[in-house]
Amino acid sequence: MNALIDIAALAEQLRRVTVEVTDAGELLGSGVLWPAGCVVTNAHVVRRPEATLRLVDGRCLRARVLARDAEADLALLGVPGTGLPAATLAEPDTVRIGSFVAAVGHPLGVRGALSTGIVCAIGPIERNGRSWIQADLHLAPGNSGGPLADAAGSIVGLNSRAAGPLALAVPMSVVTRFVHAARV
Amino acid sequence: MNGLQSLSNDLALAVERAGRAVFAVNGRARLGSTGVHWRPGLVVTADHTVHVDEEVTITGPDGRALTARVAGRDPTIDVAVLKVDAPGVAVADVADSDAVRVGHIVLALGAGPRASWGVVSSMGEGRMFHLDLTLYPGFSGGPLVDPQGRVVGINTSGASRHWQLAIPAAAVNRVVDELQRRGRIPRAYLGVSTQPVRLPEPVRQRLNLDQQTAVIVVEVQSGSPAAAAGLTIGDVIVSLGATRITDPTDLKSTLRPDRVGESITASVLRGGEPRDLQLTVGERPRRS
Repeated sequence: MNALIDIAALAEQLRRVTVEVTDAGELLGSGVLWPAGCVVTNAHVVRRPEATLRLVDGRCLRARVLARDAEADLALLGVPGTGLPAATLAEPDTVRIGSFVAAVGHPLGVRGALSTGIVCAIGPIERNGRSWIQADLHLAPGNSGGPLADAAGSIVGLNSRAAGPLALAVPMSVVTRFVHAARV
Repeated sequence: MNGLQSLSNDLALAVERAGRAVFAVNGRARLGSTGVHWRPGLVVTADHTVHVDEEVTITGPDGRALTARVAGRDPTIDVAVLKVDAPGVAVADVADSDAVRVGHIVLALGAGPRASWGVVSSMGEGRMFHLDLTLYPGFSGGPLVDPQGRVVGINTSGASRHWQLAIPAAAVNRVVDELQRRGRIPRAYLGVSTQPVRLPEPVRQRLNLDQQTAVIVVEVQSGSPAAAAGLTIGDVIVSLGATRITDPTDLKSTLRPDRVGESITASVLRGGEPRDLQLTVGERPRRS
């Protein structure tokens, strides 16, 4: 029973660091409040130079796209202001097959929706394709750019798209490499 | 560490443990399937995924490709057993599947390993497990695993269009036992063709039958166990042993390999009147 109570706490923890990415009132996807005042999302979520971020407390902030990598499907946005919460990041490449994972996002406009599952596999889904964290977990449009977290609430990947019932997330190693490169 | 983290660790450990006995099976043209090192030198997989009759290439958890031979099949429960020399590959820890209850958390493993999770949703005919989880392409023939990493069944998406199913380990053990005892898996045989038939309400009431349907015999092969027992065309088979027969599938799933040679009572209706016939389950003549 304890595990179920922990899931509710985990959902709350993740909602605090998950933003809605919108533009002119239109929901584009989700994003993660990263340490040191920035937000990471998918490149396919932000196609323009600026976007509006809505925090869990309802505050809206205008953010500028600092870097985009279409191939990795990642984008970094600079957030004005301080005192924002930030996600806890997992050590890259520590996630294990079968371990519990949770995703938070805004699928089909539903704010802060939680989905849970386990890591199905780590690797490409097609021959010579890029490597994904493949999770046995349901995603829908609006989840893109949101966090995939482990049982402790640490971010292990960035949800990018669904392949049928399978969720595909950009692994943490790729995300941190991108963020470091973008900040230099 | 909280309860959720501990559950998460258990699941990952279960995948790691059970994954050591998991093979990739290349028994059909497009999509491979999964197999489990059930007993030393014997790999169990889903029968519907093995289209070849003799040699099959299988790949061990260490990436080694090995040549296996089809040692026997039981299509009634969708199990095929492959014989392979696989020294150094762990044998699955097979658990008592009778202890599995509706609502238990289970993992399905595919070669790789890949994993999905869910719960046992309900118990079907012959204690087949109905699963509330996703069997991804290639998962058929792979192990259904409990959170301790023990194998409680073999997953198959081939047996039903509507359900994700697992064959309980106890049923797989029966097949493997037969193979080890006889050197092959016999096919049980009665020698009848049947069709489903609706039981008329007055007959059901008079005979106190709670089933709506049964099967009617439309052909009896000469020299067969059915012929020897005196079964004739037009007989309606209501039950076989303790099993109610509501359609031809029930008849097929009752005729397990380990019942060959067993004497069972067939309850039939002939001209609307009940009678019991004693049948000895035969073995299907092998193709020469």
